[in-house]
Amino acid sequence: MDVGRIAFLAAVLALLPTAGHAQGKKPGKNVHLYIISPADGATVKSPVTVVFGLRGMGITHAGDEFPNSGHHHLLIDVSTALSLTEAMPHNKNYIHYAAGQTEGQIDLPPGKHTLQLVLSDSKHYSFNPPIVSKQVTITVK
Amino acid sequence: MTKSGEVHPIRPGVDTSYEAPRRLAAILAADIAGYSRLMTLDEEGTHARVKRYRRELVEPAIIEHHGRLIKTTGDGFLAMFDSPVEAVRCAIVIQQSMVGRNAALPRDQWMQFRIGVNLGDVIVEPDDIYGDGVNIAARLEGIAKPGDVFISGGIYEQIKNKLVCGYQLLGNRKVKNITEPISVYRVLPDHATLVRARSGRTLAIILGVSALASVAIAPAAWYFASQQKQSAAPPEQAPASKLDSAAAPQTVSPSKPEAPSPALPGTPQVAVIPPASPSALQPVVEPEMVTLLGGKFAMGSNNDPSERPIHQVDIKPFALSKFPITVRQWKQCVAANACAGGVTGDDDDAPVTNVSWSDAQQFTEWLSQVTQKQYRLPSEAEWEYAARAGASTKYWWGDQLQPGMVNCNGCNEAYDAMKPTKVGSFKPNAFGLYDMGGGVDQWVSDCWHRNYQGAPVDGSPWLGADCSSHVLRSGSWRSDPNYVRPSSRNYYDTNARNQTLGFRVAQSL
Repeated sequence: MDVGRIAFLAAVLALLPTAGHAQGKKPGKNVHLYIISPADGATVKSPVTVVFGLRGMGITHAGDEFPNSGHHHLLIDVSTALSLTEAMPHNKNYIHYAAGQTEGQIDLPPGKHTLQLVLSDSKHYSFNPPIVSKQVTITVK
Repeated sequence: MTKSGEVHPIRPGVDTSYEAPRRLAAILAADIAGYSRLMTLDEEGTHARVKRYRRELVEPAIIEHHGRLIKTTGDGFLAMFDSPVEAVRCAIVIQQSMVGRNAALPRDQWMQFRIGVNLGDVIVEPDDIYGDGVNIAARLEGIAKPGDVFISGGIYEQIKNKLVCGYQLLGNRKVKNITEPISVYRVLPDHATLVRARSGRTLAIILGVSALASVAIAPAAWYFASQQKQSAAPPEQAPASKLDSAAAPQTVSPSKPEAPSPALPGTPQVAVIPPASPSALQPVVEPEMVTLLGGKFAMGSNNDPSERPIHQVDIKPFALSKFPITVRQWKQCVAANACAGGVTGDDDDAPVTNVSWSDAQQFTEWLSQVTQKQYRLPSEAEWEYAARAGASTKYWWGDQLQPGMVNCNGCNEAYDAMKPTKVGSFKPNAFGLYDMGGGVDQWVSDCWHRNYQGAPVDGSPWLGADCSSHVLRSGSWRSDPNYVRPSSRNYYDTNARNQTLGFRVAQSL
């Protein structure tokens, strides 16, 4: 392949993301996303520090297009199904860790709450199949 | 035993200076904003420039003002002065000289100092100085905007009647590791010198290139070049466009206000601004601004813990853009090579989205530069004051949702999950501002704090603490109605983009 063709191919590849972000990117293999703490069933005080665990993929800043990587979102008391075609909402139930954080501190009112992690790509779209953690239930004193 | 007050060398023949005496001094701390970014762009070139500026500009300025350069760091320096007046004069000379040097360079190569000056009791070692007085100067520098000089209340008291400048009180700030809040002032050279400076348009340029311009006129040039506030004349309205007339942008030519502007709404302005020329004398479509008188209002609500406690805030007069910044306005900044990324969608009248707080900040800096007006993000308090427009109800129009008011998910309006409506599609509030709720999340200048415990009450932005996240207001088209309340608060990582993030701009008056 001559240099010109390589350059052309590179140009086409560079244009692809701007032409339309491919949603539902394939994640890596053998990926495991999990909440290190608090443990399922734990009783805790607010603010709650949640520590995120990920195996098989990397964590990057949102916007950085590194292969096989993404960033965390913490879903608090969310029971609705995850959309693969819309970007992750961000509100008090969907906390984004777009700077590539691997833990977060959240204020929660007393009572039972569920926590779940979802990994998304650089543009906040879920992978397909989605990378989600087991949902843990905690009680805030 | 020696009597107190006696100077007594511990060992005969040894210089007493190593006993580290204390003394009162004016401390000047400075650093270069965005130094690591510049180093990434051009490591050797940046290093050489820093060294050159230090030799040609910083060191002579310190000597001329009878100061002493204590130490230099990679991107900054620390200096000590006997006189607060001389210290602040030195800071102004350095800032205005940098304006001149930057004028010839593309925006991304600008080098701008942030300077803090504090009066304090310090411990003087032969090669360094220590103490809270030094730390506070460094903190002032840390919160100063690029190109600005921030001074402490102690300095202000000493110089207010001696140095002909304007001083903007930014309120009492709590700074890292200092227990007492410190009062912070921003130095603005006075209006009278501005008027004199304006009579000769090239003055700033002449002064800019002469690194050690006379101190008496330095503030004028600095003010002219970087601090100019809104001109006395009311902004001219552009001819009505085929668009929503409310959305007609005002058109000005920053360098020749008297000349008719060729800009027409709907015509892309992007092509006429040559890249790599931030001070290009080309017209730019400015955001339409609404002047707000300010006053006291109750900020916050009991709806969410983050909005408590409700507290009285006194807002100074300011202006806020009538609409969120649009794709069209953003594109001008991109074309000038002063803004990156951001734009999604091809509707020029849609609010710009997918901008980080830092992106928004870059836009305000570019807009200030090309218009020679001081644009900034609103403070969180200003935003809520503007959104409420005098109302203390749940929404700005009342306590119940009503059709035709707001673009959100579940606000009784047709809703497109993929994008916001054009700016100005819904009713304005009592202040004549559109889209103060729903549409796009709007960045403000404040760092995120989880509630209002310790928040400023003078309308200034609440900075400090951990500023890795900034505050968002308004909620977006994807939010449910609870987020479009004027008191609702959210946050996002400072440097991250997201499809719902936009902003509007403000000006101090």
